[in-house]
Amino acid sequence: MAVSLKKMSKNPELLAAGHRSCGGCAAPAILRQTLHVAGPNTVIGFATGCMEVATTIYPYTAWKVPYVHCAFENSASTISGVEAAYRALKRRGRIPEDKKMNFIAFGGDGGTYDIGFQALSGALERGHNMLYICYDNNAYMNTGIQRSSVTPRGAATNTSPAGSVIRGKQQARKDLTACMVAHNIPYVAQASVSNHMDFMKKVGKALDIDGPAFINIMQPCYRGWRHKPEDSIEVARVGVETRYWPLFEVENGRWKVNYKPKEVVPVEEWFKLQGRFKHLLAEDKEGVIQWHQEQIEHAWSQLLKREAESKEEGQKEAE
Amino acid sequence: MGQEKVLMTGNEAIGEAAIRAGVQAYYGYPITPQNELTAYMSRRMLEEGRVFIQSESELAAISMVTGSSVSGKRAMTSSSSPGISLKQEGISYMAGMELPGVIVNVMRGGPGLGNIGPAQSDYWQATRGGGHGDYRTICLAPSTVQECADLVYLAFDLADKHRNPVLVLADGRLGQMMEPVTFAHLPDAQPPEKPWALTGAKGRQPQRIVSLHLNLDELEQHNIKLGKKYAKIEKDEVRFEEIQMDDAEACIVAYGTSARVAKESLKRARQQGLKVGMIRPITLWPYPYEPVRAAADRVRFFLVPEMSLGQMIEDVRLGVEGKKPVYHTGRCGGNVSTAQEILDELHHCCQKTQTATRV
Repeated sequence: MAVSLKKMSKNPELLAAGHRSCGGCAAPAILRQTLHVAGPNTVIGFATGCMEVATTIYPYTAWKVPYVHCAFENSASTISGVEAAYRALKRRGRIPEDKKMNFIAFGGDGGTYDIGFQALSGALERGHNMLYICYDNNAYMNTGIQRSSVTPRGAATNTSPAGSVIRGKQQARKDLTACMVAHNIPYVAQASVSNHMDFMKKVGKALDIDGPAFINIMQPCYRGWRHKPEDSIEVARVGVETRYWPLFEVENGRWKVNYKPKEVVPVEEWFKLQGRFKHLLAEDKEGVIQWHQEQIEHAWSQLLKREAESKEEGQKEAE
Repeated sequence: MGQEKVLMTGNEAIGEAAIRAGVQAYYGYPITPQNELTAYMSRRMLEEGRVFIQSESELAAISMVTGSSVSGKRAMTSSSSPGISLKQEGISYMAGMELPGVIVNVMRGGPGLGNIGPAQSDYWQATRGGGHGDYRTICLAPSTVQECADLVYLAFDLADKHRNPVLVLADGRLGQMMEPVTFAHLPDAQPPEKPWALTGAKGRQPQRIVSLHLNLDELEQHNIKLGKKYAKIEKDEVRFEEIQMDDAEACIVAYGTSARVAKESLKRARQQGLKVGMIRPITLWPYPYEPVRAAADRVRFFLVPEMSLGQMIEDVRLGVEGKKPVYHTGRCGGNVSTAQEILDELHHCCQKTQTATRV
């Protein structure tokens, strides 16, 4: 699916204005950009979370495409069912064989990394022709900022508060994108709200591919990250520049890094933009900031190594 | 904190009372309107050097309670309606294994995701077992923030006394509202000895705690044993409050938030010369059938205000045994009746029963 901004500017918006997300929230941009690429022949399955609540306050809906809301843990299962039903209808000739439809499931990080992990894993293994998009804002924001398994080590949340002894979340984050790669599905990608063309191209690729696809997109939440509402995109951009959240894709097992920062920004600079790390910047006896920097360096070198290996494999195959 | 009165939300009071009651492990998962409880415990449990874990799902949290309980520790989890549904598997296993534990449900509107407004629509789930299998859970219903604290304290004692899960059934309004509360009368509890617990078989014979009984007769015997325990709980643990029932000609039966509103309706009704009394169940299981039964011989009718389409009304009818009319009133979907609405319904019921008498 080619992504053209010029063409998109003429497309109707499929997510209506007037939904109730916070001013400065970057998440609706993810939904709109996805719909711009996917178009009207799309069914959305949505896990409970901020965007589900904000876009569907009864009796209104912001969605101009078919939309199914489900519980917190099962948006991957729900969209599996929709896709399976669609295939059955095709088999019976009720839907034309050549009709292309997109099945997209959304979940936040709580509904994807934590409680929805089992449902997601099952759907990918069964091989439904679907795209799962995780909008990852690093905590349970809808219920009031509780830590999730992707909350960065050291970040303060309402259930991992920064006190004088225990200073924020103690555990390292789960690498969900890597877990998805381990499912050996045709397409896995990591994206950021700061790089919209990159994200939309990835959505296009994911929808073109036959089989399950997964995109993990970072979306700063100013309520939980404690930055200025107008800085949501900028905070995401700096996060990418630090390589805390690299943009890459894994297509049929081949790794490709989509963006390589020319000048590396130390992770501390990113932390400085966010109140959730304020206590670490004031005092960091355990060296959490340094630990983050080391993790980033390690992960980045791994990523480049995998990309190089994939390149080599591709060349060999071509020969 | 202790001697003096402090202003707290119901959610926080539940947490503080659990700490007083000697809870050694708390397992939480985010859901509105009980998040203040999880947040409170994330801070306080660590201050006390006890266990706080935010799990990855409700099922994980109740299973962690099972794990702590089987090793003899006082453990607790909390959630709100949709999350409590997810915990039912664990609660059934705990009932089967006769494991104590406290589960707090800060009810919200349902079914499905419903909303985050206060509701009493999980009554059936809470009092009829909830999960699969032939079992009961003790169910305590606070109606003030002070009672949130007191009943959580009691919940741990009853759980250990009967080796049974205990539910505390609050709602979003009780969880979120602030009221003065004191913990002065709740001494720091020393949980009782638990010789049945699995603590390593050092110096004693190994023990087993199971919920699987493949032999049909063995499971039947286990069910019968549980049945005897439930009968004893029904005999010993009924708790309720009676208000102005001595001369009452009409009886309100209400619990939790509905009871607080109905108390005001009762006061206004008395001022208008209506002889209204009230029975407020504190234990929803075991249910106070006896006072309802006794009242059925004296009053003209019963009015049951609930924040649901009418669930507890079935228990009132079981107590009344058809002797008198039993009416439901209330709001649902996260709404709460006003005192005036219940009062109007009282007047309406008075008219209805007068007509009925004449016919």
